[in-house]
Amino acid sequence: MLDKATDLLVGPVFDAVDIGLVVLDSQQCIIGWNEWIARVSRRPAEDVLGKNLCDVFPDLRNTRLPAVIEDAFQAGSSSILTHTLNTLLPLQGDGGERLLHNIVVRPVFSAPAKYCLLQITDVTVAVIRERLLRERQNARYYAIVDSAPDAIITIDDSRKIRWVNGAVDDVLGYSHSELLEQKIDILLEPENVLLPILAKTNGREETRTAVSVVGRYRDGRTGHFDVSIGHWRADRRDFVTTIWRDVTERVIADAALRDARDALQQANEELESRVEQRTRERETALRQLHESQKMESIGQLTGGVAHDFNNLLAVILGSLGLLKKAVPHDPRVSRFLDRAIQGAERGATLTTRLLAFARRQELKVELVTLQKLIPEMLDFLRHSVGPNIDIHTNISPDINAIEVDANQLELALINLAVNARDAMPEGGSLTITCHNEDDGKRIGTARDGFVCISVTDTGEGMNEETLAHAQEPFFTTKGVGKGTGLGLSMVHGFIAQSGGMMRLKSELGKGTTVTLRLPRARENPKAPIANIELSQLAKPKNLRVLLVDDDILVSMGAADMLLDLGHSVTEAQSGSHALRLLESDTPFDVVVTDYAMPGMNGFELAQRIKERNSRLPVILATGYAELPANRSIEFERLSKPYTAKDLAAALEKAANS
Amino acid sequence: MRSNATDLTEIEQDALAEIANMGVSRAANSLRQMVGEQVFLSVPTVEIVTRQAASKLVERNNSKRLVAVQQTFEGPFCGKALLIFPEAQSLELVRSIVGYEHSLEDVIDLEQEALAETGNIILNGCLATIANMLHRTMRMSLPSIVRGDGATLFGNGASGEQYVLFLYIDFNIKKRDVGGFIALLMDLPSIAALKEIVNDYVNDIQRHLPSHVG
Repeated sequence: MLDKATDLLVGPVFDAVDIGLVVLDSQQCIIGWNEWIARVSRRPAEDVLGKNLCDVFPDLRNTRLPAVIEDAFQAGSSSILTHTLNTLLPLQGDGGERLLHNIVVRPVFSAPAKYCLLQITDVTVAVIRERLLRERQNARYYAIVDSAPDAIITIDDSRKIRWVNGAVDDVLGYSHSELLEQKIDILLEPENVLLPILAKTNGREETRTAVSVVGRYRDGRTGHFDVSIGHWRADRRDFVTTIWRDVTERVIADAALRDARDALQQANEELESRVEQRTRERETALRQLHESQKMESIGQLTGGVAHDFNNLLAVILGSLGLLKKAVPHDPRVSRFLDRAIQGAERGATLTTRLLAFARRQELKVELVTLQKLIPEMLDFLRHSVGPNIDIHTNISPDINAIEVDANQLELALINLAVNARDAMPEGGSLTITCHNEDDGKRIGTARDGFVCISVTDTGEGMNEETLAHAQEPFFTTKGVGKGTGLGLSMVHGFIAQSGGMMRLKSELGKGTTVTLRLPRARENPKAPIANIELSQLAKPKNLRVLLVDDDILVSMGAADMLLDLGHSVTEAQSGSHALRLLESDTPFDVVVTDYAMPGMNGFELAQRIKERNSRLPVILATGYAELPANRSIEFERLSKPYTAKDLAAALEKAANS
Repeated sequence: MRSNATDLTEIEQDALAEIANMGVSRAANSLRQMVGEQVFLSVPTVEIVTRQAASKLVERNNSKRLVAVQQTFEGPFCGKALLIFPEAQSLELVRSIVGYEHSLEDVIDLEQEALAETGNIILNGCLATIANMLHRTMRMSLPSIVRGDGATLFGNGASGEQYVLFLYIDFNIKKRDVGGFIALLMDLPSIAALKEIVNDYVNDIQRHLPSHVG
């Protein structure tokens, strides 16, 4: 039987085929071994024939081949054992490479004997070809995917990362192997929009647009990503491929742009509000300028009117004085004359105030210490305001001296006190405080060194409109006949003329504070002007007076006064007229000249006289302070309107100088 | 006594299921040797249906894409044996056999051969068990892979094989469950021969029972 089998199986064809053929008998002993299997197994037929297959290749006992062969004999089954599931024979190619092979096991029944045929097929070439084909296909795929600038990450249905492309390194900082098997959650912030989308769409809905996600780089920083999502199914499982594009720079640039835009808008708004503020400030400044211009013109008008009235009052007063002397003593006539004189004197007071407002009054500047002045006048102030009002003072002991006209300052304070009284008909308190103010900038002036006097009442205060007009002359809140409306305007004029400033602060229902600021005295102040009482003067001698005035009426009044005082008078109507008279041989003891004259003014005349004859005294009669600063001191001065007493005193001083 | 030769009595059904389970457990042993892990195969039900009914049954999960390992057999009864899976399940089965360390692409490459071998093991197991019980030899062909819907797998009925011994089979490999079918297409005489074999088996058991009890 064996011989028959040998006849059947071993022959030229058996050895010529290009597959391995092995024939086994029922004892699993090798009875056929063709050349192909001899070559690739490196075992020649003579080595193996008659031997049990598992003795030749002992490793086969660990495979299912023996059982399969047994089945072939017992049950007649045919089997295939593939290289994919089995490790079979140790076969090598010509170059020594391991051969991948499948084995087909078939029963061969050649009655009464049974055989088993093993067909061994080399599949190495096919496997390699398949692998190559796949690799080539994959190479094209990977070339596209791996050269993509975006990270491509595929996750399975448990969110585990199954596959990533090379860009994950550039985009997220992870190496290829670090991400595999991790959950995609490590790339995301705990609160994110991506996971809910992954959970929700669940492969059924495609998300067409990219999702904006805050992601995490490997180093822990966060960045902005646009993530595109694609679902797919394979092998009964759901997969999601996500494509991550890093848009952090764009997001940051957008944010910066937005910030810049906001900043620009804010700057614009600020600019607008600044422009508005400047406009408001300018309007305020313009209003103030307008106000001061208005005050200036009112002042000039007032000053001019007051000056002219002053001259007229001088004539009236002088004439009345002379008349009183000239008429015989009659009580009735005296009464009339006294009343006329009183009226004229009140007129003179009024013009003085007007001149004060117009800053043209004659100021007798002297060194004043407020620590002394204010306590001295307190009694008088208490008298002026009445018993319903308490007066408090708070005067700093180290307060600086000021150079100011003391009488005018007193008058100003009395004015303020009276205003305060009128603002407190039900009573209240009045506080006078004095302190030094060294820093001029705080009060809006470049100069330093002020003394500040505040007069505060607890009265009804003023509304804004009243406050705005309070400093104007003839503006009054008092009933008709109760006030002149010159109080505050006079104070204002006086303070301004003295180089200071006045501020009003008032709140309706709470009271008013008037603050006066006067410049501190210079280091070496002028000595106070001696006030010589007329009574102290010696009996005047007869003087030859040259009287110069362009106003004939005034000139006549003055001449009469001089004559009454026992002097001789020569009148001149102008400066040049006066000079001509002086050139003539007529001798004069003194020249009394008006200041404001057309052509040559009194001061020029006085200087010309001084040049010719420095010993001839000159008296300048002025209604207001128009004299050039610092030079008026050279000449004796006489304030208009003057009384006979004033004139006599001036003549006395001039004659004795 | 039975109105229909293709009906199975309860006892016949149980006996067939037992025979089938013996067959697949034999296959499971082979698979375990290959996979290196425990493999569980079980056949919960057995029935005889017509070819048309069978082609509907295999499409029951709305899955018309099927893959089958097919072998012919000759002997005391003849016919065609098919192991059938929905296509996706077949890949899963292969994957569980070849191991998850392989990429999907590798599995696709291996699928054809691995599936053929796996089907071969299971079908041989069943058929060899029957052959062993008969103490007879059958001739079984090599496996081939067929893809298509139910009608493709079960043919147009031109041949004489009109009946199908239909077995559900569950695989549990590496904690994954895969469900499939085993179908033995036979003609009427083959069915009758099979039933005879089954009845012999039942009688044999019953003959031995009293002694077991005693």
